[in-house]
Amino acid sequence: MRVVVLSSSVYSETACAMVAAMADAGHVPVGALSLRTWDHRTLIRKLGQWGIANSARYVRKKLIGGNSTSAALHNPYLAQFLANHGQPLRNLRHIAKLYRFPVATCSDQNSSPAVAQLRRWAPDVVVFAGGNILRQGVLDLPRLGVINVHLGLLPHVRGMSSPEWSLLQGVPVGITIHYMDSGIDTGRILLCREFPDTADCHSLEDLRNQLIAFGVRQLTDVLSSLDRGTISPQTQSQLDQDNQFFVIHERLRILASERLAASCVAAIGAEVA
Amino acid sequence: MSTRVNKVLAEAGGLFRGPHRVFPLIGKITRDKWRTAVDRRHLYSYVKTERSTARTLPSVIKWIINAQRTDGGIAAYYSLLTGYSASYPEVTGYLIPTLYDFAHSAGDHSALCAAEHATRWLLSLQLDSGGFPAGLQGSGGAPSVFNTGQILQGLVRAATEAGDGDIYKAALAAGDWLVSMQGTDGAWSGPEAYQGKAHTYYTMVAWAIAQLAEISGDEKYSLAAESNMDWALTHLRPNGWPEGLNLEGHPNYLHFVAYAIQGILESAILRRRPDAVQAISKPAWLLLRKFETSKRLPGAFDHDFSAGHNFTCLTGNAQMSCVWLRLFAVNRDLRYLNAALKMNELLKNLVPARGARGIGGGVGGSYPIWGAYQPMRYISWGCKFFADALMLEQRLMRDLEVPACAS
Repeated sequence: MRVVVLSSSVYSETACAMVAAMADAGHVPVGALSLRTWDHRTLIRKLGQWGIANSARYVRKKLIGGNSTSAALHNPYLAQFLANHGQPLRNLRHIAKLYRFPVATCSDQNSSPAVAQLRRWAPDVVVFAGGNILRQGVLDLPRLGVINVHLGLLPHVRGMSSPEWSLLQGVPVGITIHYMDSGIDTGRILLCREFPDTADCHSLEDLRNQLIAFGVRQLTDVLSSLDRGTISPQTQSQLDQDNQFFVIHERLRILASERLAASCVAAIGAEVA
Repeated sequence: MSTRVNKVLAEAGGLFRGPHRVFPLIGKITRDKWRTAVDRRHLYSYVKTERSTARTLPSVIKWIINAQRTDGGIAAYYSLLTGYSASYPEVTGYLIPTLYDFAHSAGDHSALCAAEHATRWLLSLQLDSGGFPAGLQGSGGAPSVFNTGQILQGLVRAATEAGDGDIYKAALAAGDWLVSMQGTDGAWSGPEAYQGKAHTYYTMVAWAIAQLAEISGDEKYSLAAESNMDWALTHLRPNGWPEGLNLEGHPNYLHFVAYAIQGILESAILRRRPDAVQAISKPAWLLLRKFETSKRLPGAFDHDFSAGHNFTCLTGNAQMSCVWLRLFAVNRDLRYLNAALKMNELLKNLVPARGARGIGGGVGGSYPIWGAYQPMRYISWGCKFFADALMLEQRLMRDLEVPACAS
């Protein structure tokens, strides 16, 4: 099966972990298409996403923060996928060199050159590990579709800040692997898995990191099942109300964090009892 | 056209009469120009500010109190070109509940005095018919349904707070006049309505009458409020757009769209009509989605929520924040609270923390300040809705955070 990976940056730990896990499971991608890290559009996007202060902090860390390869991973749970002779693989190009597949970069994954590159790779499946909101031209390109790992259980929690909203809504925390369509997380579902270790997470960041690692593990299984033809996507059931969630405000994030802490306390209480 | 030119010339002439306003004007234009140039909106983020609600709210209330004229009425606006306007009965009326709310929540005596002073002034303006005049003080306005409705909100609250029989009688007289002016279909049209037409944003009047029904227990007010609300609901398009704003010569500013939504919602809550709450949730949700995805609400809409306007109406934003907060209070859907918190952050960021009287703590008509809605002005009804939104936020967050801490 021909798999292509889309990434928001060649330095994306999640994308690196996905590619490394896929390759280890025998699904070496035929190519990876990443957004250019120092492209002005990417920089503006990041500036908008992180704000000036956080962006400056990031640049300072990157430029004068010492040897980036020896620095700890932002998400320690991805170390299991990125281990390579004591040094974690943290650049898509290094992984590509190891497994011999090409990496192309672009400023927009919907642009004509990007689409032309994808077409040349003729993928059966595209794995979306970050980047732009994909237009129909890209979504229609692979034979089977574009796959996304969503950090929430669909169809209950669509959109952003899914782990936080799951906690606030009282919906089990989990991941969904689904095909992407023109809606926000509305595509057909390949796999939906509740995360069993929520009570072990000591913070929202920890939960998010563990969910990403959980999603990476499930992704390789889904790709294997797709390859064998033993999985069939399910159309999402329609809920009574719009189930899209948006980026969470800091004060509600704190509430979600308290809910998580309460679930940890409850779990410890149950163990003691 | 000539009216518009005259208006612009009169505004610009204000700078000659008050040259000290030149620097604040240039400063504000420069700041907004810079802000719009560097402003980046991203799907995964929202505007954040270090300014807390507890710090911002008193500055907004201070702006309102500073705008109170010696007669007791509150100015409609502070123009960067012409300074304060004359007292505006309509806004003075519906600022009264805001002042009382702040006086109680912050224990602020000056807000209480301002509310009482404003009430006394309004009572002096009431016409024999029970109605109140349109326009600014001294403009010799004819009785106006909308303005009377907005003033009624203040009278109802003042009557409740002060337990004063005269205020209560004035409120009943205003209510009776409004009921007598209402058409059989539930709408208000004719010479006492703006441009002589029926408007769906007059549901704000229905809300005031519903409040009067609450304190008086008189069935005729309940029927009048529900009848207007039901009339307005028939004008909701399937996509939620409130048809029938009927503003000839003006775009459909967000302020009026929000009025229509807010009026229906508040009337529905008071009249215990879950069907109406459900119906009005549709446009409220649609605007929430627009805000969440583009991080800003357009200042005006063409039709069916389509918009090509490159400014935002800050008052409309504050009103929508109130609507979302009230919807959260009703249905406990945290997404409404989430959007309102972000909207309030955005507004806090755009309200000047410091500045001369009339500027510091003021809510601009538009952002950027030269936008089409009330350009170059800080407006008192913008401050009213923003203060309401901040107080609602404080109350709801307190209710939400205390049980969470307790558990």
